[in-house]
Amino acid sequence: MDTPKIGVYVCNCGTNIKKVVDCDEVAQQASEQPGVVCARSYKYMCSNPGQEMIIKDIQEQGLDRVVVSACSPRMHESTFRGALAKAGLNPYFLEMANIREQCSWVHTDPRAATDKATDLTRGAVRRVVFHEALEKRFVDMCPATLVIGGGITGLTAALELAESGNQVYLVEQSGRLGGNLANVDLTAPYLDSARDLIRERILRATRNPNITVFLDAKVESLDGYVGNFKAKVASAGGTVPVEIGSVVVATGYKPFDASRVKAFGHGTNPNVITSFEFEAMLRKGRILTDKGRPPRYVTVIHCVGSRSEEFHPYCSRVCCMTALKYGQEIKSALPDAFVYDLYIDMHAFGKGCEDFYKQASEIRTIFMMFQKNTAPQILPGGPKDDCEMFLRVDDKLSGEEVDIPTDLVVLMVGMEARDDSAEVARLVNISRDKDGWFIESHPKLDPVATTTDGVYIAGCCQSPKDINESVAQARAATARIMAKIAKGRIEVDAVFAEVNQDDCSGCRVCNDLCPYGAIDFNSETRRSNVISAMCKACGACVTACPSAAIKGRHFTDEQIFAQIEGVL
Amino acid sequence: MMSNGFEPKIVGFLCNWCSYTGADLAGTSRIKYATNLRVIRTMCSARIDPTFILKALLEGADGVLICGCHPGDCHYVEGNYKAMRRYPLLKRLLDAYGIENERVQLEWVSASEGRRFAEVVDRMTEQIKALGPCKVRTALAFDMAER
Ligand code: SF4
Ligand code: SF4
Ligand code: SF4
Repeated sequence: MDTPKIGVYVCNCGTNIKKVVDCDEVAQQASEQPGVVCARSYKYMCSNPGQEMIIKDIQEQGLDRVVVSACSPRMHESTFRGALAKAGLNPYFLEMANIREQCSWVHTDPRAATDKATDLTRGAVRRVVFHEALEKRFVDMCPATLVIGGGITGLTAALELAESGNQVYLVEQSGRLGGNLANVDLTAPYLDSARDLIRERILRATRNPNITVFLDAKVESLDGYVGNFKAKVASAGGTVPVEIGSVVVATGYKPFDASRVKAFGHGTNPNVITSFEFEAMLRKGRILTDKGRPPRYVTVIHCVGSRSEEFHPYCSRVCCMTALKYGQEIKSALPDAFVYDLYIDMHAFGKGCEDFYKQASEIRTIFMMFQKNTAPQILPGGPKDDCEMFLRVDDKLSGEEVDIPTDLVVLMVGMEARDDSAEVARLVNISRDKDGWFIESHPKLDPVATTTDGVYIAGCCQSPKDINESVAQARAATARIMAKIAKGRIEVDAVFAEVNQDDCSGCRVCNDLCPYGAIDFNSETRRSNVISAMCKACGACVTACPSAAIKGRHFTDEQIFAQIEGVL
Repeated sequence: MMSNGFEPKIVGFLCNWCSYTGADLAGTSRIKYATNLRVIRTMCSARIDPTFILKALLEGADGVLICGCHPGDCHYVEGNYKAMRRYPLLKRLLDAYGIENERVQLEWVSASEGRRFAEVVDRMTEQIKALGPCKVRTALAFDMAER
């Protein structure tokens, strides 16, 4: 190999890196490394002038390797690869050192952080020497999409794609479309009918010839890669294979099981019901206690299962406004009834929500605030009382303990990840967070993509959301998919494993190891071979091959060895 | 350095999808931890070859941390199981060279466990500080030259 000509670019990220790491010193140290012809420290490497600087150096100084010490490669590797390509250099001649997320943001001692940034940069410099030009790979993009989940999110995604002329397979595990929203009466804060919202979509979806709906169905397997997935959908009609290019996971949530909060006695006290049971009463237009009479006192309790140490730490987002909605629905059905609203904090964050809160006070909902991680206590009513029971509340606002008369208690159950979320995550190869919600590619910049190319998440399977947010995510996911469909052929990473046919002994150790079945054994030559389009570059086979016949492109032994030497 | 105490160098091999992402999350959450770790990213923990670990120790690392996704959560289906299976073998090899077991540690860190990652690094750094510099480098170098 000719002596490489390496350019090193140390980003200050405004002050994000510079306030802890001495970027000039890092650049200075790097300039003393063999092969480094220029090393610069600059304010914002990812900005246009920053990228132009790299391009200019490549062209004028004939650089053939570039190291950018900046943020995480997960953030800007593609940006800088783009800059290399623009300068006419193969994009894989780039290596990044993570001196922001894994250095300046986690350390406070400038000396130690500068030393670490210097080491990481040196590791990148040593590694990049061994980088090789990798050619782009293109695969065809199948325009069909698999949508898992037939609630408002899945229906929206399916319609969006189908109405643009693309084939959709919509898989719903229950016997009907509509999801949880189909069990709701009115929606907050504009009191539109949920039934109207959902029914129109179900009709459009079932009538659209581009949508194949599978009910009581399950995706049994998903193989392949972006643009070229193969799935098996099992339903009463048998198992059907489908070919798709993308997957939208819109599996939604499960309402929290209120009987887990023992103090409320849901399941034993018939006048303690969940918000979903109350929605059913509202839809029938009959709000009744178990004795069949309209309640005079209704108490709504917020945050059941949410924002609690015992159950779920997060806020379920929709319950506060739904609770306010109950105040309005009860008052219009039973004008003489008293509505008590027991909350921890009132979260009225969305558009129109603060006004809705105000309306609830105007119709004289009685608000009381209780302490987080405590529960109001239920006491039975006596024969002389005009109510079924009392709720004892330690009201934080008045500082007094009050017993409020109640005939019907409505528990605002939160959302939780579905029981099958682990199974679904494994099926489509995505991750879950500590609460079981699916993890997006980037929480702010890439909210519907996942770490598996071609698999998108939308709606409440990612975390609790209201209807508008779910719909927005469904549309965001379909926009991503349609952009790929429009291109016809998509570029995939050029990183994969390859077998050196001369070194392969035919031992077949690698054959069963590959999680994607990407290794093929040629019985004539008695050698193994990697099908590059199916390889996802995990490197398991590279490490396992006893003959060292497999090379992990861009993750070769010599690249990693050089990096180890560099960081030490 | 502020103290005249021993500051070990630890090399960390982190899988891209879970642990490296978890380490990035520690950063975006501004969680502080020890500066002793030098991270090398691999796509999957299954790519971490025992020779990488030996190489790191030979080059002067006082400890090696291997991080992958939690069992059952691997981006590559079961790559982390492969890493796990290799681990006891490696430990035995280290024992044979008289290298203290704690110098090489395997931890599962998911993409959402930024805090846990910071705790793992702090805990391991303390353990290696207590052990002192890795002396077996010379022994290992000698043995390798013999072969
Ligand atoms: S390249 Fe990364 S580290 Fe540099 S300015 Fe841009 S975001 Fe910040
Ligand atoms: S493990 Fe290596 S030698 Fe054995 S079949 Fe696979 S590539 Fe060939
Ligand atoms: S690198 Fe991983 S995905 Fe690629 S062929 Fe080897 S085992 Fe399969």
